[in-house]
Amino acid sequence: MAEPSIQALKNRRLLVVEDDYLLADDLARSLEEFGAQVVGPVGSIHDALALIASEDDLDGALLDINLHGQHVFPVADALAAREVPFVFTTGYDRVAIPESYADVPLCSKPTDALRLAQSLAEELTR
Amino acid sequence: MSNRPVLPSDAELFELIVESATDFAIFTMDIDRVITTWNAGAERLFGYSEPEMIGASADRVFTPEDHAGGLPELEAKQASAAGRANDERWHQRKDGSQFWASGLMMPLKDGRGFVKIARDRTEQHTANEHLRESEERFRLLATSIPQLVFRTRVDGERTWGSPQWIDFTGLDLEASIGLGWLDAIHPDDRDATRDRWHEAAETGDYYIEHRVWRQRDGEYRWHQTRAKPIDKIHPVTSEWVGTSADIHDLRGLKDRQQMLLAELQHRTRNLLAVVGSIANRTARNDVSLDDFRKDFQSRLRSLSIVQTLLSRGEHELIDLRVLVDSELSAHLDGGIAADRVEITGPRVTLGANAAQALGLALHELTTNAVKYGALSQPSGRLSVTWDRQTRGPEHAVKLEWQEFGLELPSGEPDRKGYGRELIERALPYQLKAMTSLEFRPTGVYCAITVPIPDSDWTDG
Repeated sequence: MAEPSIQALKNRRLLVVEDDYLLADDLARSLEEFGAQVVGPVGSIHDALALIASEDDLDGALLDINLHGQHVFPVADALAAREVPFVFTTGYDRVAIPESYADVPLCSKPTDALRLAQSLAEELTR
Repeated sequence: MSNRPVLPSDAELFELIVESATDFAIFTMDIDRVITTWNAGAERLFGYSEPEMIGASADRVFTPEDHAGGLPELEAKQASAAGRANDERWHQRKDGSQFWASGLMMPLKDGRGFVKIARDRTEQHTANEHLRESEERFRLLATSIPQLVFRTRVDGERTWGSPQWIDFTGLDLEASIGLGWLDAIHPDDRDATRDRWHEAAETGDYYIEHRVWRQRDGEYRWHQTRAKPIDKIHPVTSEWVGTSADIHDLRGLKDRQQMLLAELQHRTRNLLAVVGSIANRTARNDVSLDDFRKDFQSRLRSLSIVQTLLSRGEHELIDLRVLVDSELSAHLDGGIAADRVEITGPRVTLGANAAQALGLALHELTTNAVKYGALSQPSGRLSVTWDRQTRGPEHAVKLEWQEFGLELPSGEPDRKGYGRELIERALPYQLKAMTSLEFRPTGVYCAITVPIPDSDWTDG
């Protein structure tokens, strides 16, 4: 039985940014199982920014912080500017993340798909 | 009247005082410095009895060095001329030992000689000497150690800064004393630097890490500054002595270590996530638990090969040849048979990300070859070759996996498993690689072209 809040993901268009194919694919599958439509996934800042620029319809995003050694923060800023809520997935501790993103929920890797979905659903219904 | 006490005469009184003042050597001499009186204090101090000295030369209490320097005559002359002669110097006892005396010599009124009063000040003199030596030692230490040394009051107002401080900051003594030294502290650190002094009054200990301006290059460098009161019981009234040590490089190392730890943690968690994902996929494709166990273990082994190579390599670069050898031999008991497997290619290095993804793909190709392909039949041959490609600023390596000598049923086998997904989807996604995978009648053909970033590109 799915948590009621996960219903919030249904038919939502969610961007997935994750540089590892296996993890990106897993995330996308899980979100689709929860009824969401996945935009991407993409594995680089360049591709993510291009997608954000071309997609008018984005409801939320999952962002891996480290993309081949580069930080995803430009993507986070672009989403914030459009008021699209997002959640970080990362192997880093909270302390390694700039304070300006202190309010962004953090899901530690290895991520639990259900918890990640809940955390994203909470952001969407906020 | 008869009840009036009998007062001593001045002469009696004088004699009483002289005789009772045993701390003082009081003696008189004639104009030729021959002793005429010698009190008990003189006896005690110099060790000569009164009979020994009356009629003897007063010069015998001088040290041999002062004798040689003509000091007895000089002192008498000065006493005659100026009415008194003070001296602070070593004197000699009868037994040859010496003591430090502070003395006064005055001419007698009628010009018939001199009176001399001397006191043993050896203890004070020694204490002064020790103090002077200890001050000298402090100064030597304070001016020769690399740290910047200062003396201060409990409110942080400095009274002295060592030459190193002056050299380092370019603030001379005048500019540094009081709170002037704060000018050399980074503006952002000044409040904390001052606030700590309020705490220091209570704790008896001052400690801060702050940035100090270096005059030579205008750089603010991290320093660790400590100070302690000389009088620990009364820190508020005591003078304080402190040092500032340059910890800039040390701090840099510490920051770097913290960064490396964060990276390590990031990588470990990421790897665990990948392991989880591989487990999921393996479970999805395999029917029996036994198959799952075999496949999952062999995939983990492939992953661990890359991790081992990464931790061994310099600058986190892995040689492609080593990677290919390792992945192949891990799945071939008894090593790679040279007559059946050909591995050739120039030197190419891969970053961690490319090595891990390519390693997993090579593992799947090997497993397939062992199970169904070139390495499953005696007639089979395998060639793994690669070439460096450079087009303008873009570098890449093109790797070809070719199996020969097989007789396979024509048509593409229906194996859309994990290995195929890795090659056809994961590599393009993760490495921007171009890939093709064909199941030819003679065996598998796979080509993988991986772009290599400039930073990982090494000359062949």
